[in-house]
Amino acid sequence: MNRRNRELLASPYFIWSIGFTVIPLIVILRYAFTTAGGTFTLENILAIGNAINRKAFLFSLEIALICTLLCVLLAYPLVMVVRRLHISRRAFMLFFLILPMWMNFILRLLAWQMILSSNGILNFILQAIGLKPLDIANTWAAIIIGVVYDYFPFMMLPIFNAIADIEEDVIEAAKDLGAGPLTVFTKVIFPLSIPGLKSGITIVFVPSMTSFVVADILGGGKLQLIGNIIEQEFTRSSNWNLGSGLSVALMVFVFISMAFTIKDDVVREEPELARVEGSDKPDRRERAA
Amino acid sequence: MDTILELQNISKSFDGKPIIKELNLEIYKNEFITLLGPSGCGKSTLLRIIGGFETPDTGRVLFDGKDITNLSPDKRRLHTVFQKYSLFPHYDVADNIAFGLKLKKKDKAYIEDKVQYALRLVNMEGFEHRKPNSLSGGQQQRVAIARAIVNEPEVLLLDEPLGALDLKLRQEMQRELMKIKKEVGITFIYVTHDQSEALTMSDRIIVMNQGIIQQMGDPKSIYDEPQNAFVADFIGESNIIDGIMLRDYLVQIQGVDIPCVDIGFKPNEKVDVVIRPEDLSIVEPGRGFTIGRVMEVIYQGAYYDIRVACGDFEWAIQSNNPAMPGSMVGLSILPENIQIMHKPRSSDEQIIEKN
Repeated sequence: MNRRNRELLASPYFIWSIGFTVIPLIVILRYAFTTAGGTFTLENILAIGNAINRKAFLFSLEIALICTLLCVLLAYPLVMVVRRLHISRRAFMLFFLILPMWMNFILRLLAWQMILSSNGILNFILQAIGLKPLDIANTWAAIIIGVVYDYFPFMMLPIFNAIADIEEDVIEAAKDLGAGPLTVFTKVIFPLSIPGLKSGITIVFVPSMTSFVVADILGGGKLQLIGNIIEQEFTRSSNWNLGSGLSVALMVFVFISMAFTIKDDVVREEPELARVEGSDKPDRRERAA
Repeated sequence: MDTILELQNISKSFDGKPIIKELNLEIYKNEFITLLGPSGCGKSTLLRIIGGFETPDTGRVLFDGKDITNLSPDKRRLHTVFQKYSLFPHYDVADNIAFGLKLKKKDKAYIEDKVQYALRLVNMEGFEHRKPNSLSGGQQQRVAIARAIVNEPEVLLLDEPLGALDLKLRQEMQRELMKIKKEVGITFIYVTHDQSEALTMSDRIIVMNQGIIQQMGDPKSIYDEPQNAFVADFIGESNIIDGIMLRDYLVQIQGVDIPCVDIGFKPNEKVDVVIRPEDLSIVEPGRGFTIGRVMEVIYQGAYYDIRVACGDFEWAIQSNNPAMPGSMVGLSILPENIQIMHKPRSSDEQIIEKN
């Protein structure tokens, strides 16, 4: 198969992305830069700066940052434990982690709503063991719980993959040269996990920034993320121009923040193993040898 | 000679399978000692126990007389060079070498000095700022050696460090390792399954099989006087044939009485007779101790590898002169080149029969 024919294999996706990414994007951009009457304007974009929208935007940013940070802090200790497990138990742990993702997203959020509501399961348990009930439902904390719960696997898996790829010998070499457990982590494991961390951040930060369903269900509609406002412009207010404008503003922000995160990956060129001598891929040495 | 490391009664099993069996070994200051054996013989496990990566089930490891059996690797005054180089992929060469010194909080100028010294030692000047994955295997191993040596360990453990390199590079690195050893003057404990590597470099060779020491000694004594059939077979090629020790100085092979120089066997004891291929000479039929048919002649560059069938035994001979395949020839041997060995008593010594 020559190169041209091989490229044809990508055509279904190519057609798909024209139809469902490129064209919608053009439509959105057109809406964003025009008034309802069709004349050019920047107002829809700049509307991100008005009081309500700005508040929602900053709140979204806060939620996304906290969610990302919590996911990172939860992921590393777990990964360090799973890394050491025997391969069969490791697979089971990962399966366990991914299992909730097989259930409908909305359904899972509704379950959280029931757990967290003022006379829900959590408070029932708290009272049963003699503690004061918590008023989490429809708060900032409920939204954080929801987004962390939903996006955690997307943070953990890339970090896990990066760390699982580290050769045990490299870690042993660090120990051998005088590194204690903490130093091994800070000088070897963490730096080598950064590519995974970066993709984890990309996959978690952006959706948690732009989502609206979590805030709808767990925030009780009182707390508005920028996603909720955009959604309402399209559904309730039927102001597609404003909705598109806010979307584009948000998209630009996401682009900029992601450019900072993944910049290095694009620039860094990996000289693909310039091996000169010998066969350099010995079999994994048997430990018992 | 001063002892630096002492292994006392070390045993280790994995999943119930014994890997090392009650092993005792003393290692002296500044010697180049090689643990030699086939894969699975326990040599790497033994090295990992010395390095602190495994804990023995029984026994103790003494370093300078102090018990270090349960000390973690980072607290031991010895360093390991791994087979797969194990460089830190995110650091450049200089940072890799400086890793241990930085952990010890040495000052900058000192580290800079030592790194340069180490790079010179392994012949890698000018590579400071290269990343490991842009280096060849041989270069990576040089950096790994520099990274260990820069910390001035008293003992350097080398776990098949040249195993992943091709033959020519391996021989070059062998010479360089010996040079480095001379220069830094520390103890090298070297693990390999390559007997020629062991013979080339070592002051002392420990031949291991199935978790026990089969023989130890300097390379010449290991090669010239193997103590059992396993060692004879593992170290170089050997003809190992059944014989009967009729009395002192006389052994019978295939019904022929041959004078030898060995004594101290029971009369008519069944023995293994070991003869090195290079010690046999091809002579006219009728002269020599036996007659056989030339089955195969292979030119090896420095010599001809010749197989001669006598009855149900096929002799391996290394000769400077070719022989005519299919012709009948005689074989002769000098009495002092015949090695007589007791038959193995334990199954541990019998691995060659399984091969």
